[in-house]
Formats: sequence, C-alpha cells, structure tokens
Amino acid sequence: MVSKTEETQLNRLENQVDNGGGGAWDYLCLVRKLKVRRSEKVFKYGLSILNDPKKRSALGPEEWTLYEQVAIAAMDCQCLDVTKDCIKVLQKKFPESKRVGRLNGMLLEAKGSWAEAEKAYSSLLEDNSLDQVIHKRRVAMAKAQGNISKAIELLNKYLEIFMADHDAWRELADIYVSLQMYKQAAFCYEELILSQPTVPLYHLAYADVLYTLGGLENLQTAKKYYASTIDLTGGKNTRALFGICLCTSAIAQVSKGRNKEDKESPELQSLAATALEKDYKQRAADKLGLLTSALRSLKI
Amino acid sequence: MAEDLVLDTAIRDWVLIPLSVVMVLIGILRYFVSKLMLSSQLPDPKIVKEGQVIVRARNLRAAANFIPPKSFRSRRVYFSNEENGLLFVPKGQAQNPQAQMFSDPNMAMDMMKKNLSMIIPQTLTFAWVNFFFSGFVAAKIPFPLTQRFRSMLQNGIDLSTVDVSYVSSRSWYFLNLFGLRGLFSLILGEENATDDTQRMMQMSGFGFDPSKSLGAEKDGLDIVQHEWALPKFEHRAEAALKKLIK
Repeated sequence: MVSKTEETQLNRLENQVDNGGGGAWDYLCLVRKLKVRRSEKVFKYGLSILNDPKKRSALGPEEWTLYEQVAIAAMDCQCLDVTKDCIKVLQKKFPESKRVGRLNGMLLEAKGSWAEAEKAYSSLLEDNSLDQVIHKRRVAMAKAQGNISKAIELLNKYLEIFMADHDAWRELADIYVSLQMYKQAAFCYEELILSQPTVPLYHLAYADVLYTLGGLENLQTAKKYYASTIDLTGGKNTRALFGICLCTSAIAQVSKGRNKEDKESPELQSLAATALEKDYKQRAADKLGLLTSALRSLKI
Repeated sequence: MAEDLVLDTAIRDWVLIPLSVVMVLIGILRYFVSKLMLSSQLPDPKIVKEGQVIVRARNLRAAANFIPPKSFRSRRVYFSNEENGLLFVPKGQAQNPQAQMFSDPNMAMDMMKKNLSMIIPQTLTFAWVNFFFSGFVAAKIPFPLTQRFRSMLQNGIDLSTVDVSYVSSRSWYFLNLFGLRGLFSLILGEENATDDTQRMMQMSGFGFDPSKSLGAEKDGLDIVQHEWALPKFEHRAEAALKKLIK
C-alpha cells in the first residue's frame, strides 16, 4: 500500500514531468520503488531518456534497470517492437541472466503464445524452483487465458509455500469473489486483515463478503466490520456508511420474529444516515432526493 | 609508577599508520574477493516455507483480536494441531537441523568458504604483526588501566615496571580489528564481508533457528487469549460519526 506522503510526492513529480520541467529520472525511480502501474508515462519518458545517448550514459549502471522498466511498460502498452529491442540490448549485456529470461517469457505472454511462454517459465523454474515472480506470472497467464480453476490451483500451491505474501492472498480473494465462492473469499480476507489490520480496505471487503453470505450471525459480524472501517477512515467512507444502514435493516428483517438481543449501538444507523445525507448535500446535492427516499425505504 | 616514557615519533610513522593502512587495504581486498566468490546459494524450500509459516503465525498472534473467534480458533488448530499442524515439530526431528547442516555438502562448503575468508587474513595479519612489530612499546593509552591488563596488552614487552598504559602493537592490531568496522561500512556500504563480529554472532545461533522458533511460535499461539476487538469498534464508530456530524 502506498502511503499518503508517497502518493503526493508521486503526483507532484508526475505533474512536474508532464508540464515539461525535468525530473523524469526521479519520477521513474519513484514509480519503480512504489511498484505503481503508470505504463504510458514510464514508456514515454523512459524511451526519451534511452534514445538520447548523452542522458543514457549519464545513468551509468542504472541504465539496465531502466531498460527492464521500459520493456515491461512497453509490453503493457502493446508496443512489442520496442520491447524486443530493449530485450535484445539486455541479452547482449547479460547473456545468461534469469531476469532477461523472465522478460522473454513475458514477451511471449504479451504476444499471446501461451504454450511457449509456459515452456520458458517451466525451464526457468527448474533452475530455481523458489522464484516468486515466475510463479505469479504463471498464475497471471492462467487467468488471462480464462482458465480460472487452474489459476486458483496454482495460486493455492504458491501460497502453501509462500504463505506470508499478502498480494497473493488479495488476488486469490478477488478470484474467489468473482466466482462467488464467498466462504473461501472470507478466509482470504481474514488472512489480509491479520497481516495488515489497520488497512480499512480489507475490513470493508470482508464486511461486503459477509453481508453477501447472509445469515444473522454474518450480518452482525458484517455490521461490526463496517463500523471498524468507519472508525479507521474517520467516517469518510461512503460505502461503509451505506453498509451500516443496509446491515441494520437486514438484521431487523431477519430477526423480525425473535427478540432483538443486541442493542449495543442503536444509534449507529441513524448516525450513519445523517452522515450520508450531509455527505451527499456537500458533494452531490442533486442526488439527495434519491438518497432520502432510499433510506426511508430501508428503515421499514 | 614509572616516569613518562617519550616515544619516538618514528614509531607513529612506521608502525601505527602502516598497520592501519594495511588493515584497511586487506579489508577492501576481502570485500572484493567475497563478491567474486559469491555463489548463488539456492534457498532450501523447506527453510523458506518455515520462515513464511513463522511470519504468518506471528501475524496471527499480533492481530488475533481483529478476526472473529471462530476463525481464530480454526486457525490456531491448523497451526498447533498434534498430527499435521504447521508449527508442530515432533521431538525426533528437532535435532536434525544441525546434523543436516554439516552433512549437506553445499551448505558446509559455503560455511567453510565464509570461515576461510575470515580466518586466513586475520591469522596472516596477526602473524605479520607479531613478527615485525613486537618487542617494543607502540603507543600509550590515554587513560590509566589496572595491572590485570598487562598480560593482554603488553605481550612483547618483558619489563614489569612499565606502566600498563604503554601497549604493544598487538593491541593496536586488535583495536583496529574491531574499530575499522565503522569505517568499512562508510566506505563499502552496509553489506560488507568484513563484518566479522556480526558473522560470529550469526554462526553461533544458526543451526537451531527453524525448529526452535517454530516451537516458540506454537507456545506463543497457545497462550493467546482471543478477545474480539470488533464490538468496541461499533462504539468508536458511533463516536467518530457523532464528531463528524457536529
């Protein structure tokens, strides 16, 4: 997760570079460090640095990292000729390198020749069966081919060894949600909450999944997680506010016949509704009517 | 109490400074040699998996109060289950890591290489110092010392009346050995092979790392009392919203 200061820094550099003031190299380094995906900009500015021999020699040994970065960005923008050139240069410099082998595999993937890419990756894995990035590329390939069950299988096997990799857990949760396997998705989100308990995104996603699963207990748990999201974001997360209202009304519906046991936070729903109205008044005043009618129908 | 000895400045020029310079140069040489000899050690899958298991178990312990009690309990069973729990190491296997370390040819070779690159230069330099720079007083330590240090610091000097603050060049060698570590991390960057003392500490605690920490994690996990923090959050959310609305 990118922190707020890093985000502002990135945006500032981006504006600076876009408007013609130098600093392209700093921007590229920051993008590489934060691992954000800004392929068009990286491609444009990286290529301009690489094509200028003076600037290129000023980089020194960092030149090769830039080649790698531009190659990947070019693949993302589907400019495969540029990619091929970059990879050729890298291969001349580092003939037996695994990193270049990986770039070759990615190029085959980008071209769509799945079988050859699979062969390239398996041969790389033979040399080093613990290369995390190659395992993840295989999962991405399976997903791109539409073979979701294979992607799930590969990802599970990967997670058996590298179970502390929270990006992988996130990807698995996404896949499960897309397949509507909500119980498994809930498990993945629990893992994410365990590893990073202060990130409100995961609480929110977990609450969503629990709400979708339904059932009184899950609804109550979901309500608690929406509340924790609100707490972690200071009440600014609209989706969590909606979630609270929906949960409370759903709980009321489910437990219509029985006694209402938990009166822990009776005001929460009204507070959430008020906060929502205030938010809409500030940001989307024309939709306020829709909001009030929706909320009114929920309170029944 | 002997009177103040006047030490020849030639000692400073021809003993202290050359010794330091030689040690710095040898350190730099070792650094480059270690970089050349760097064999890409293939990480053992079992060790990697154990490392990851430990991280995951630690996360579970740290953030246990954020997930519902049922999920926490099922995860705890998964980890510390007697038959196939991840953290459970049966007594028989606990001794293996050390034996494995010595019988596994690759690992033994690597450790030997690291040891050699550390021991040989040290031995050679020490012998050189002893041969050339012994039998005279090399320097004076600025603060007074007790008589106990005499045998350590005044090895080549066979006079018992000389003040203990006057030391031989051997002690200058040892001073340099431990003191140049800071200088090397300035010149060569953080990761340098001259970090002998660090490596010595690492070596002593190596073999038992995996199974002991697994056992420690398992005990820690068994102790944890799960207290679900989420209900508190509802109240806190209420308070936050109230503040927001005001």
